[in-house]
Amino acid sequence: MESFVNYWLTSPVLVHYMTYYPWAWPLCEVAHFVGLILLIGAVGMFDLRLLGMAKGLPIAALRRLLPWGVFGFVLCVSSGLMFVLGLNANVPNPVYEVLMTDIWLDLKLLFIFLAGMNLLAFYQTGMSHAVEGLGPGDDAPLLAKVIAGTSLFLWLGVIYFGRLIPWAL
Amino acid sequence: MWQLLESLQNTLQNTGFVTWVREADTVLAYPTILAAHTFGMAFLVGLSAVIALRILGFAPGLPLAPLERFFPLIWVGFWVNAVSGVVLLSLTPADFLTNTTFYIKMLGVAGAVASVRLLRTSVFAHPASLDIKPVPMKGKILAGTALTSWAVAVVGGRLTAYSALVERSSAVAVVILTVVLVAGYKAARRLGLSIKAARQARATASTGS
Repeated sequence: MESFVNYWLTSPVLVHYMTYYPWAWPLCEVAHFVGLILLIGAVGMFDLRLLGMAKGLPIAALRRLLPWGVFGFVLCVSSGLMFVLGLNANVPNPVYEVLMTDIWLDLKLLFIFLAGMNLLAFYQTGMSHAVEGLGPGDDAPLLAKVIAGTSLFLWLGVIYFGRLIPWAL
Repeated sequence: MWQLLESLQNTLQNTGFVTWVREADTVLAYPTILAAHTFGMAFLVGLSAVIALRILGFAPGLPLAPLERFFPLIWVGFWVNAVSGVVLLSLTPADFLTNTTFYIKMLGVAGAVASVRLLRTSVFAHPASLDIKPVPMKGKILAGTALTSWAVAVVGGRLTAYSALVERSSAVAVVILTVVLVAGYKAARRLGLSIKAARQARATASTGS
């Protein structure tokens, strides 16, 4: 398992280039930050509306912002993959060891997984469909509010644990 | 004057709280202050950037007037960052105050906060007519200024952790990547639009009208 993980989650080429070009790591960090800003800006705004903030916003129109959140997530995943695959450009620890010992990274990955499950629940419980017709002033069903609150909590948790990762390396 | 600043810096640096944040061996000290600075950024920049993008013409079906309700949360994000930022600055004031990038970041923050405030008081001044008339040019300029200043602030803030040489090359890399992404987006949109137009033309032709 250990050698499998270290083999597949390390890219010597990427490590080489990220070491050779000192701007590569900070560039990925900037992409990671811009991504989280877009994610919280678009998805967070959607969640806050479901929770009852700025109720004048119709849900169907607000949905049009979600692609920006998806774009932010894609930015975060691709830059995050660069951090993992190119980890040794920054610290010497093997990837397997970091995955096994860094509790904050593990919690972050767990929270991302839970946020995915939460999104799945939003569709599977029919809430996505139920909120679609909500116009200005309409209140979201309780379950939709619970899912929206969970989403906000999980994404903020992802940011928090992400920030802590260096302290357990 | 400089002596006064220096003694102020020494005092700040050595207050019990700042020393604890700097030296305590717990993630609740420095890392949590840093995370608070990221939370504040997410709400302050995230929500105001979405409002600015809407003013610039994205998601045109979204009514503008109700977005005004997010300003209080935007200012909560600002104050969280003002406070956590002062604490982070007090940890190692000399490092930040001798770093040009730090001043560029602060200029970005000042420009963005001023533009967001002006957006609130000008564009959102008359909510009743907001979604009837198109947003005035002044509003679009303010939205563009806010977005650009946030970009400078966020990139500048991230890069203060690096040496001057890395800062400069990273800033160039960010600009290049941004240009590539924007150009790609424009090209994809144009392609999408032309495909849509062609499909519509074909549909009209086949119905014979």
